[in-house]
Amino acid sequence: MDGSAPDTLTKALNDEFEASNKDVKVKYEVQKWGGIQEKLTTALTSNTPPDVIELGNTQTPKFASEGTLLDLTADAANLNGGEWLGGLKDSLTWENKQFGLPFYASNRTVIYRTDLFTAAGITAPPTSRDEWLAAIEKLKTANASNPDFQALYLPGQSWYSLLSFIWDEGGDVAKKDGDKFVGALNTPQAKAGVDFYKKLVEASGTKAPKDTDEAKPQQMEVFGTGNVAMMIGLPWELGGAVKANPDLEKKTSAFPVPSKTAGKTAPVFLGGSNLAIPAGSKNVDLAKSYLKLLSTKKYQDQLGAAGTVPGTSKDTSSLQSNPVGKALAASSVNGKVTPATPKWAAVEAGQNPLKDMLTAYLTGAKSLDQATTDANTALTALLGG
Amino acid sequence: MTAVETTDAAVPVRTSSPAPRRAVAGGARRRRGSAFDRLLPYLLLAPAVIGILWLIGFPVVSVVVTSFRKLDLGELVRGQIVWVGIDNYTKVLSDPRFWEITVRTVLFTAAVVATSVVVGLVIALLMRQLSTPIRILLQVCMLLAWAMPIIASTTVYQWIFDQQYGILNKILVKFGFDFAGYSWFSTGTATLSVIGLLIVWQAIPFLAFSLYAGVIGVPSDLYEAAGIDGASAWQTFRAVTWPELKPLLMMVTFLSLLWDFKVFTQIWVFKEGGPSGGSTTLPVLQYLEGISQSHFGVAAAVSVLMVAILTLLTVSYLRKLLQTQEGKL
Amino acid sequence: MNAKKVSANVVAVLIAAFFAFPTYWMVTTALKPKKDLLSSDFDLIPSSVTNSNFVTAWTKPGFLQSLGNSLFVSLSAVVAALVIGLLAALALSRMRFRGRKGFVMLMLVAQMAPFEALLIPMFLMMRDLGLYEQLSSLILIYFAVTLPFCAWTLRGFVNGIPIELEEAAMVDGCGRWGAFRRVTLPLLGPGLVATSVFAFITAWNEFLFAKVMVRAEDKETLPVWLSGFQSAFGTDWGGAMAASALFTVPVLVFFLIVQRKMVTGVTAGAVKG
Repeated sequence: MDGSAPDTLTKALNDEFEASNKDVKVKYEVQKWGGIQEKLTTALTSNTPPDVIELGNTQTPKFASEGTLLDLTADAANLNGGEWLGGLKDSLTWENKQFGLPFYASNRTVIYRTDLFTAAGITAPPTSRDEWLAAIEKLKTANASNPDFQALYLPGQSWYSLLSFIWDEGGDVAKKDGDKFVGALNTPQAKAGVDFYKKLVEASGTKAPKDTDEAKPQQMEVFGTGNVAMMIGLPWELGGAVKANPDLEKKTSAFPVPSKTAGKTAPVFLGGSNLAIPAGSKNVDLAKSYLKLLSTKKYQDQLGAAGTVPGTSKDTSSLQSNPVGKALAASSVNGKVTPATPKWAAVEAGQNPLKDMLTAYLTGAKSLDQATTDANTALTALLGG
Repeated sequence: MTAVETTDAAVPVRTSSPAPRRAVAGGARRRRGSAFDRLLPYLLLAPAVIGILWLIGFPVVSVVVTSFRKLDLGELVRGQIVWVGIDNYTKVLSDPRFWEITVRTVLFTAAVVATSVVVGLVIALLMRQLSTPIRILLQVCMLLAWAMPIIASTTVYQWIFDQQYGILNKILVKFGFDFAGYSWFSTGTATLSVIGLLIVWQAIPFLAFSLYAGVIGVPSDLYEAAGIDGASAWQTFRAVTWPELKPLLMMVTFLSLLWDFKVFTQIWVFKEGGPSGGSTTLPVLQYLEGISQSHFGVAAAVSVLMVAILTLLTVSYLRKLLQTQEGKL
Repeated sequence: MNAKKVSANVVAVLIAAFFAFPTYWMVTTALKPKKDLLSSDFDLIPSSVTNSNFVTAWTKPGFLQSLGNSLFVSLSAVVAALVIGLLAALALSRMRFRGRKGFVMLMLVAQMAPFEALLIPMFLMMRDLGLYEQLSSLILIYFAVTLPFCAWTLRGFVNGIPIELEEAAMVDGCGRWGAFRRVTLPLLGPGLVATSVFAFITAWNEFLFAKVMVRAEDKETLPVWLSGFQSAFGTDWGGAMAASALFTVPVLVFFLIVQRKMVTGVTAGAVKG
């Protein structure tokens, strides 16, 4: 899809592949993300489906379970199977078979303003929840005179961040019950996670709307106004903020999302993509050797250099060159994905109960118990149906 | 076979022609009985009918058939056919949300249609009174509204109504009202009102243009007659404009009803049918079942139900249409 | 100018301003530098302007290509729908024949189908015809979607032109076709404007089918290209708004051309007395 792998990588890859396979031309079609669900559905149903497709990791279980992708379990060893990123591997495993190959991943870290931290007397980034809340207080005091200041910008529906808090408590959003998944939002652990989210929102006094996610308005643009000390974001969001406000480049860094336990980092949602071969592909062997080439260290390092976590290489040294990459690498080890059920795709492509739950609780429309119970019912219905 | 007459000589309308009269006096009413004349309507209609039956008919039949099948992603890709009878329909109809969604859709449609038609009519009547440059200005402004791509219009509206940075709240605060940080999307009804405004804004131009086309088609001698009798503006409207405009008005209202009922993209892009499903309408439900959850059989059932409801809503118009003789409607 | 006309003009200007506001907002956003996009200040009038967004939009790869594709697809579909629709409208309006009511109902019912619901069946149809991934599939789809509307609406407009005018012309020696060309067609002008602009805009702005039916980047239409401003890495709103503004220009041009040619028909209204 658009912006996945850097152009330099794909060009080099395609050239090398064509060079070693005479008479083969690689047709590389970049898709836009808008309408991708429809696009994948029709592309796979066409008479000439693509030979290799990129799928978001939360979409992979759905396509795998419907038999639309080729089983690559036998080829995993050939594709650097030993180095596959754990979280992504889970997302492409269905009934103990692997239906793809991890491509790349990224996760959220807390991106912060080093200058504002120093000015507030914070000497080191927080490594626990308590330290985090303390840092927020210090930042608020130091910037009390600025009416537009926000210690932490946290919109109401940033459910990926919520996942970190729930997982950190030992809970999850859904659990397996027999051969189905049911919601697990009404467990004490999940509720504790939701409650911490609210604590952050209230402690930081963030002005972010409680009924939208981090895209509306774009969180990175708010950070770019210079009045925000922290945001929980993906690496490219910092890039976007810097584009809008180039001064920020020298004044920003990142730390992993702190855990409630000092010294550990909270589990983070591993966003990313997998590569798969459609079941209807007419060039299976070529597709497999294409993937093999992509999974070699040479190209995986390029993914790292581009700021994403490589999917088939445990070597994250290429990421360490910048502070955000460092935090990324540190926390991706503790990366998890959403429940590997085909129904999860519907949660993301439709009406997400987690979002509604957060808004209801944050605005006070529902109590914690009510909000989590209602969301759980809705989630179970989606995952079961 | 006698061909239909064409006189290519530059015959001015009012002078009588010296050419032998072969055209039937009195015009089309008396059929000449030639085979070509009898076939002509069918010939004229043929391309349209073929196009519609082929390009729309087949897919529509396919949707109806699909509503009786279980068609999820796997079945679609493998081309499998699994019949499930009316299961899809029972699933949809027994969901309590379905009735809530239907009522919401009908009310929303009614509000949007009423507003756009009334305002469109008023603008159309107004346009007659304007000096030409102002009229063109108005038409261009409306056209730009009509043509704005949905991605741009939905975003601009969201920005205007934004809680924190929206210009609307800023303007209200400037006027002294306490609207700082006010959220316009806290309930489904509020959300639908803003979306409704967007749709009305983009719908009025077509209505205004069409009704204006009708308004200037009203023969001016009718107005003169009314003027001679000393009628007021309102009376003139009721006596002259309204009867002339009524068929066109009913037609565009009918069309508006169809379109506004089926609106999907704007509702989805705003709040994905939220908050908490509060702005979900039937088209949104169809999307959720279809593309989102890949239950294409169920989605097809929703589509069929949508058309059924639409037919119910427009049944009186349809019946009148079937009853008229000379197609005055 | 009397008071009535003045007040009418004033009201019209106010209405025009209401309609133009969101467009104004789109254009000013396109002119704002990125950092001014989200501001707590009262920014009804931008404090600073830049043309960088327009440059980004204009130079973004694929703009001219997708512009060409959109023009090709939209104009083809519109011309076909208008011509065929007009022929059908004439038959339905002016002629009496067996089964007329049935055909009228067909035009009507064809418009009730929810467009998005037809996505999968139409895709399958195009696939089986071998037209998947061809721009011609889009032409057929847009033609199909606008045709019933064109036929139906033009029928309404033709109904509004009294048949006596045609008869008068024929009495004076014009044949049926001549009467149509000289009398009806000019009077149909404004109706044709409304109908053709509608058809054009429908095809021009359509996203879903355009996205699904073609895969290659060089076959994209403008709406699909426009969606590219929303990448996985956030949206370049300044660029998107600039691109949207550029996007609207051809529609404006189409309208002005069509309007000019058609409006001359109104003056033929002199015939009506």
